[in-house]
Amino acid sequence: MSAIDDLAGELAKLPGIGRKTALRLTYHLLKQPPERSRKLAHALEVLRDRVHPCGVCGNLTEDPECAICRDPRRDRTVICTVEEAADIGAIERAGEFRGLYHVLGGRISPLDGVGPEHLTVRELEARVSAGGVSEVIVATNPSVEGEATALYLQQSLVRLGVRVSRIARGLPVGGDLEYADGGTIAQALSARREMI
Amino acid sequence: MTAVSQETSGTTQALPVCVQQVTIRDFRNIERAEVEVPAAGVVLSGLNGHGKTNVLEALHYGHALRSLRGVRDQELVRFGQEAFHLAFTATGGAVDSLGIGVARTGRRKRLVSDGVEVTRLGDAFAAIPSVVVSPRDVVLVAGTPQDRRRYLDLLLAATSRRYLSALQRYRAALVRRNAVLRDQSRAADAAAQAAVWEPALAETGATLWAERVRWVDWAARVTADRCAEMGEPQRFAMRLQSSMRDLTGTEAELHIALAGALERERQSDLRRGMTQHGPHRDDLLLMLAGKMARSFGSGGQQRTIALALRLVEAATLREHRGHDPILLLDDPFAELDRERSARILALVAQHGRGQRFLAIPRDDEVPSGFGDLTRWRIEGGVIRGA
Repeated sequence: MSAIDDLAGELAKLPGIGRKTALRLTYHLLKQPPERSRKLAHALEVLRDRVHPCGVCGNLTEDPECAICRDPRRDRTVICTVEEAADIGAIERAGEFRGLYHVLGGRISPLDGVGPEHLTVRELEARVSAGGVSEVIVATNPSVEGEATALYLQQSLVRLGVRVSRIARGLPVGGDLEYADGGTIAQALSARREMI
Repeated sequence: MTAVSQETSGTTQALPVCVQQVTIRDFRNIERAEVEVPAAGVVLSGLNGHGKTNVLEALHYGHALRSLRGVRDQELVRFGQEAFHLAFTATGGAVDSLGIGVARTGRRKRLVSDGVEVTRLGDAFAAIPSVVVSPRDVVLVAGTPQDRRRYLDLLLAATSRRYLSALQRYRAALVRRNAVLRDQSRAADAAAQAAVWEPALAETGATLWAERVRWVDWAARVTADRCAEMGEPQRFAMRLQSSMRDLTGTEAELHIALAGALERERQSDLRRGMTQHGPHRDDLLLMLAGKMARSFGSGGQQRTIALALRLVEAATLREHRGHDPILLLDDPFAELDRERSARILALVAQHGRGQRFLAIPRDDEVPSGFGDLTRWRIEGGVIRGA
């Protein structure tokens, strides 16, 4: 196997990259100055050496604790639980939430052999048991598996006397009712709220 | 399902669904066919094994988006080819044009309706509605409960988006709960792991039950009428049998009842490694004079009921879509005597007013009533006369 095939093969394993794109990227790198490739290789190596999950919440960080967990201005009484570390970025960009996070590392998926014991549920329970937490917001995806995971968390956490809430489902902001699918509209209707 | 509240025949004025052009490429034994279809329909003759049913299957793909004979998409690709492609233009359907492409190696089919790529399969389901009538339909009566549930699910999913999405979510939650019951039964929190799938099962299961019950209430009477018209002297009855003794409640009541049953049976489910309660255990009971047609009906009686169910399928589609579906008649008179065939034909003419495709082995056997239709011959996958 040639070096070109080697790299293209590795790139093609990445999500969203097919065989053709992988080859194009490989040839692109060969046209660039060698320094460019070395930088990329170095960045890749450093990535895995430095980045690891935060010891508290599971967010990706280069420090023992992530920037959010260390930030004294964050509200330590609320924990928002998400499936993956990437979800934190999405919520942070919204700029609305000022509490802490907890990354589950996936969702309950019995078809893939993923049970609650493969997620960081015990770690979350430990954080709640340690005290000072008044609410856990469950922000798993609104899929069949995400909902089941949310329910499992609710049942595990409610025993600890903490308030458990679920993010709402419904119409997207700025969306158009006409174009929403039936399931979303049904959800939005059943979760309607009184206007006061 | 609100529209199914009245006897259907003669109430709808709208024009039937009408396929105008069909293109078939590398589908089953058909290499390439591009045909214009007359509005009234076609008689398609050809010896067995030359591709009559394949043409009907291609047309029905525009409704079910899968093989009518339960074959995987990849196996529909013509031998030695990479992909099959189907294209239809139609009037009266949900779309004016539908293109379907399936590659042997591809994981999903590519659908283009009215020039726009369809990303969710459900959006194109029953785009060009059709009903297949064939001697194989006898499995609806003589076959397993699964065959009858499949009939119910395909029909109700084609008439109700709500049913389709409930069915998809129900199945998703069911396989996951069953996986827990099977693989995690010794885990300390096995019961809790099984329980998390129950709210989704109870909510969507109640929807399936409510819609099935509503349809059966209406369809039982219509099916009985069709059976009587075909000369069946014994009284026909149909009802939904389920793991829940009583399905008469509202959807909200069924929701609570199913949630309760799942919780009650959880330990027993864990021992058996399967979910024992819910619509996936339903059966459509078909009876003649109070006896199960599955065990006690004669071959002829079973055929009669099966055909009646297909006519009711066409009536249901007409009620919900506003147009008569295309009728795909796959040698429906094989093994039937002349008198019975004539009576059935009269019924088809009366109740299925849509465009018709009649596939028969020899064109000197064209039954009266179909004599006016344009005739095509199919030989070795090639359509002639079109």
